[in-house]
Amino acid sequence: MTAVTHDEVHAGPAPPPTGWRRLLAPGWLRVPWMTALFFGIGAGITVLVRWLEGWDPIWKGSVITTVELTAVPFGFLAGIGGFDYWMRYAAGSPTRPEDHSGHGARSWRDYFRINTDHKVIGIQYLVTTIFFFVAAGLLAMLMRAELARPGMQFVDNQTFNGLFSVHAALMIFLFVIPAFAGIGNYVIPLMIGAPDMAFPRLNALSFWLLPIAGFMMLGSFLAPGGAFASGWTGYAPLASTHQPIGSVFFNMGVQWAGASSIMTALNFLVTIITMRAPGMSFWRMPLLVWANFTTSLLVVIATPFIAGSQFFVMFDHVMHTHFFDYQAGGYPLGYQHIFWFYSHPAVYIMMLPGFGIASEVISVMSRKPIFGYRLMALSLLAILVLGFSVWAHHMFVAGMAPWLRVPMMVTSMVIAVPTGIKVFSWLATLWDGRIHFDTPMLFALGFVSMFVIGGLSGIYLAAVPIDIHTSDTYFVVAHIHYVLFGGSLFTIFAGIYFWFPKMTGRMYDERLGKLHFWLTFIGFNLTFFPMHWLGIQGMPRRVADYVPRFADLNMFISLASFGLGASTLVFVYNMVKSWRFGPAAAANPWRSLTLEWQVSSPPPIFNFDEIPQVVGNPYEYGVPDARHAVFNGDRQVELEEVPTR
Amino acid sequence: MTVQAEAHAAHPPEAHQSSRVDARTLGMFLFIASEVMLFGSFFTAYFFVRVSAHTHWPTAGHELPVFVAGINTIILVSSSFTMHWALQAIKRGNRAGLQAGLTLTFLLGLTFLLTQIREYSRLGFAPYTDAFGTIFYCLTGLHGAHVFVGLTLLLAATIRSYRGHYTADAHWGVEIPGIYWHFVDVMWIVVYTTVYIL
Repeated sequence: MTAVTHDEVHAGPAPPPTGWRRLLAPGWLRVPWMTALFFGIGAGITVLVRWLEGWDPIWKGSVITTVELTAVPFGFLAGIGGFDYWMRYAAGSPTRPEDHSGHGARSWRDYFRINTDHKVIGIQYLVTTIFFFVAAGLLAMLMRAELARPGMQFVDNQTFNGLFSVHAALMIFLFVIPAFAGIGNYVIPLMIGAPDMAFPRLNALSFWLLPIAGFMMLGSFLAPGGAFASGWTGYAPLASTHQPIGSVFFNMGVQWAGASSIMTALNFLVTIITMRAPGMSFWRMPLLVWANFTTSLLVVIATPFIAGSQFFVMFDHVMHTHFFDYQAGGYPLGYQHIFWFYSHPAVYIMMLPGFGIASEVISVMSRKPIFGYRLMALSLLAILVLGFSVWAHHMFVAGMAPWLRVPMMVTSMVIAVPTGIKVFSWLATLWDGRIHFDTPMLFALGFVSMFVIGGLSGIYLAAVPIDIHTSDTYFVVAHIHYVLFGGSLFTIFAGIYFWFPKMTGRMYDERLGKLHFWLTFIGFNLTFFPMHWLGIQGMPRRVADYVPRFADLNMFISLASFGLGASTLVFVYNMVKSWRFGPAAAANPWRSLTLEWQVSSPPPIFNFDEIPQVVGNPYEYGVPDARHAVFNGDRQVELEEVPTR
Repeated sequence: MTVQAEAHAAHPPEAHQSSRVDARTLGMFLFIASEVMLFGSFFTAYFFVRVSAHTHWPTAGHELPVFVAGINTIILVSSSFTMHWALQAIKRGNRAGLQAGLTLTFLLGLTFLLTQIREYSRLGFAPYTDAFGTIFYCLTGLHGAHVFVGLTLLLAATIRSYRGHYTADAHWGVEIPGIYWHFVDVMWIVVYTTVYIL
């Protein structure tokens, strides 16, 4: 088929402005003064209102900070050009909806501006999230350095609390969730045969909210009093009364990251529902598309609840309201209910896209149709529904109504059923397949095995008596790292290696990839497996010090974690080197059937010259003459072969 | 490379429309679903506070102006009808009707918001007074913020209607803000019933 490469696009934008007018054009020159302007507006309104109402003092640090954490990001977004089109539209001025000058990337600079191409946005997402992954990983290593020996060595208690809080918040809100959004952004429109996402401008905006949220959370270390230190769960009333102003950085950071993920999810849903290629029914969609469809439903429905919970905490903190203040009639436990009503579904938001990636990789690399395709899709939906009925299993020791415990225990355990369906389907897919142990496959298999361990400890934790024994111990730390590191992170790596040739047009270094996998896999198990034992012995999490009898094992864990951290260097080196110097990749190096592999690597700027016609299932590997889709050229051949009367 | 492919370089191929639902309408409905859940979290907080209070509700010293707020409710609900009128007018190609309908809707919405602010200043309790004050201001304030967003959308639609946009065939720029505005109105009825009457 013919492919349009990047440099053949001549749809030129208006000539670039010169002189002082460059300050008015969307971009990094407009960002500083626009940000300053919005800062001034935010401060001005705050001071004016406080003066009119006669509140004292007129200039109050906590209030100004809170307002500016809203106003300054808007200034940044306005400066970089996130709202330009809509402002012109709202004013009734001429807009150019057919202007595609914001599409595609011709140089590295195009990754640093508002770009409406889903492929560029996907890469923007992935690079940004890996940056925050490394940052959060370094925080974890600082933590392990402190924990290597009993007693206090490097940091004080409050700083330690800040370290684990920011580590978790960055890993969850700035790495796992958006990394999946990044892979989805790149792959979904290609997989369903669409030229772009349904709302490209919204897509661009939702990416630029991410660095804002990330730097806000990292920046909380610089706030007076230090970073937010109440854990990523930010339980009230601890987070609303006894925290420095850094706590508000977390509250607002979550709002920005949450807004970003709601906008992306909405975009995914509309794209998947309205823009599938002809012939692609729901039952012909690849499982990654199914996974992102269910995840997006979860995001749209659940994320507003964490927005609500963070608003309440922030109001209690800054405005001295009484949501969680028992003395004034508030209800302290309410925070945990509202928070976990989002944050339990959020663990599926952090896992379902990984299921999708694993399904793609395992089917392609064992050269067999995925086992139980429909049940794989339906089990995703079952997890979606059940996920909303289990939140209180995080609260068995919180003092909630005791009658709620057993139902929540039962529903939590029932979730193992659809998850088990998926695990057994992957195993059945592998059964008797011609398995290719390329790096993506290694990570996918690593994911299946590690996720089973995490899932089993999850069953332990769902049982009320065991949960009461292990609450807030390292057993919980081990569990969440087996599901989020062994689960989500391994699938993210699998996805990055799998689609790397498609995204960059170059092949990664297979030897380094395998080295990365084995270092990660071994380092991960050495780091987190001993934590199960520590937890059962009663070592509490989130404490900088511990009794000397845990010393040896903690030293071992710390050393292993440094090795695990070092394995990331292999990954980063491989990515940078291969992107720059790697050998050119074929259009379809894995011999996959799905649509994204049927176009050139990297894909043409608008993905397809002609929208393909889907004629079969996406996973018919090993089935003779099976086709997932036919393209324009092939269709003409078929037409010519039809005998004319 | 064919000539056809060159043409595609400047323009993406038309996406295949795989659903009868319009993408923009679907997007707005999904956004509203998300908004409903945001209100849901605030209502959850409201009922937590209310149920755990174990006393007469509203707690002592909080008289709400049910009658004035009722009038305000009627103002907001009638703005839904003017919004519908505006949309029906442009569907028939009646620009004057569209302009009048949108302007009226905007003014009614603004009246609602200003009345709300005036009510705030005369209530005699503040968000930091106690949990009732907190939950009252936050629920009505959240709704007020949505009225503000709705008014911003309406303002854009109104300005565009005066600058000659929208025709009988192309009027999604009126329709989509309209859907949002109806949502804001319905949400107010729920908030009013819960907070003022029940």
